[in-house]
Amino acid sequence: MEIIRTENLKKVYQDNGVPVEALKGINLAINRAEHVVIAGPSGSGKTTLLNLLGALDKPTRGKIFFEEKDFSGKTKKELSEFRLKNLGFIFQAYNLIPVLTALENIEFSMMLLGIPEKERHERSMKLLEELEIEDLADKRPGEMSGGQQQRVAVARAIVNNPKLVLADEPTANLDSKTGGKLLDLMERMNADKKITFIFSSHDQKVIERAKRLLILEDGQIVSH
Amino acid sequence: MLLKLAWRNIWRNKRRSLIVVLSVLVGVNAILLIDALMNGMLYQILFNQISLSVSHVQVHKSGFNNNKVVQNYIENPGEVEYALNNNKLVKSYSKRVITFGLLSSASNSTGVYIYGVDPGIEDKISIIKESVIEGSYLSDTNRDIVIGQKLAEKLKVGIGDKVVAMASRPDGSIGSDVFRIAGIFKTPSSEFDKLNIFITLTSSQQLLNIPGKVHEFAVITNDYELSNNLRNELKSTLTEDYEIQSYEDLLPFVIIQLDIYKESLFVINLIIGLALIFGIINSMLMSVFERINEFGVLMSIGMKNNKIFLMVLMEAFVIGTAGTIFGVISGYLINIPLSINGIDLSFFSESLESLALGSVLYPQLSLANFVMTLLLIPFISVAGAFYPAFKAIKLDPVNAIRYVR
Repeated sequence: MEIIRTENLKKVYQDNGVPVEALKGINLAINRAEHVVIAGPSGSGKTTLLNLLGALDKPTRGKIFFEEKDFSGKTKKELSEFRLKNLGFIFQAYNLIPVLTALENIEFSMMLLGIPEKERHERSMKLLEELEIEDLADKRPGEMSGGQQQRVAVARAIVNNPKLVLADEPTANLDSKTGGKLLDLMERMNADKKITFIFSSHDQKVIERAKRLLILEDGQIVSH
Repeated sequence: MLLKLAWRNIWRNKRRSLIVVLSVLVGVNAILLIDALMNGMLYQILFNQISLSVSHVQVHKSGFNNNKVVQNYIENPGEVEYALNNNKLVKSYSKRVITFGLLSSASNSTGVYIYGVDPGIEDKISIIKESVIEGSYLSDTNRDIVIGQKLAEKLKVGIGDKVVAMASRPDGSIGSDVFRIAGIFKTPSSEFDKLNIFITLTSSQQLLNIPGKVHEFAVITNDYELSNNLRNELKSTLTEDYEIQSYEDLLPFVIIQLDIYKESLFVINLIIGLALIFGIINSMLMSVFERINEFGVLMSIGMKNNKIFLMVLMEAFVIGTAGTIFGVISGYLINIPLSINGIDLSFFSESLESLALGSVLYPQLSLANFVMTLLLIPFISVAGAFYPAFKAIKLDPVNAIRYVR
């Protein structure tokens, strides 16, 4: 069953008044619980595609269907709500809130959903234990290593049980051992919780472990 | 949790936040000092006027205030005394004879208001006795007179010197008497000191040949705020032959000034507050621009604009409130010694004394001053954060996440 599908997705940027076509008509469909890696060289349009799939940016042309519903016409407010309820994000630079502890970072998106404090706390602690990072609960990002921060970022991304997690180069800032552990963790979440993962990466190790690989070149998918 | 996040964001850059808190604190102190000075000045003028001669309520024969001629005396003082003795709001009262006359010394003469008072009672009503700086206050000796320092200088007289007071009598003849200067007073009002002299009630009645008659009853209540109540009660007790006025009726200019001040207080506070706003805008803008990346993340994970907006406003509110609370505490502490010892403004004494203010100003803060500041400044701080908050929600999440400082 499809979770997300694009139709002739195009994105044109203006670079000093010169139009640059970042995506040239992408057609793809990703099924629920899939683990997909979008690979390609720098500038191929991986991040642009991820931003469009994550409802962070609007396409110049084309449509994106999430569970068969087109979200390209939604307002900014509706898109925020959509992201909050359906999506999880993992960033290359972890991007945890520096003034909040690991536990609070994880709780934050639940707070946005209006989940009561007690339940937030319990669910966050359970997830920290599941990810074997419960000892980080009271630490702030500045007190954690890159790998630890990214594990907390994974926890933050999945704590609301999203249908789709988008990860933009999640292992790029990590050494290969830590990156490998992180991939193990996300594969486990994919298998156990049936969360759909879409990665963008040009890391060979990530590409090798992909269950489904999409190769992007010059704004076009060249290999499924 | 949003408040927790706002609080922690404030302490990210301690130095900047402390500078903003400090600027709010200084602004609040400036507001409170201006309030206290204005308050103190106007109430000092009012209370000085009340305690010099106006008192809380005055009773005259109808028409006396418009035409202060000697014939406008109260025919039956006993009737008024009865009404005053039977009113619970009355603390004390003094009978006065008031007329305009001429006071002459060996070297000069000048027009004056002659007050005939009962020395034993008048000191409960006015501050003339305690304002005597040379000699002594009136005794029961009929030939005593006390005059103001400025008048003494003009007439070139001192304690023990003789002066002659002359005034028209009701029958049109001129009454005159010789008095010996018993005391010289200096009140907070130099104008009052130039124009008013005090003799005993009996000698004034003799001078004007109006035995047993008076022109004025000066009444003090237990609380000056009850003056209008007392006026109204006396109006209902006494007939229309009497003119009964409270200090508000007698000092309309001072009362208008007080009212204008109370109304302008908000505007003064607002002007200082507006100056504060720019500090808040600057600080909050810096804070927002330092966190562009973070706002991008918050937007990505689904934080709606209204919550982001609220978070920035909260940060400004917390900073503004902290500065206001510390400012109000320090403003209160600074005001304690100033209100007790006063501020010596003797270098302006000429102009201040002509305003009946005296040369020492006692700043005074009211609860309303604190409440208004406590309500206004945090609100102004929040207003100052609107533009930075607006900038934050206008960020594009994609560009914001990629933003590198």
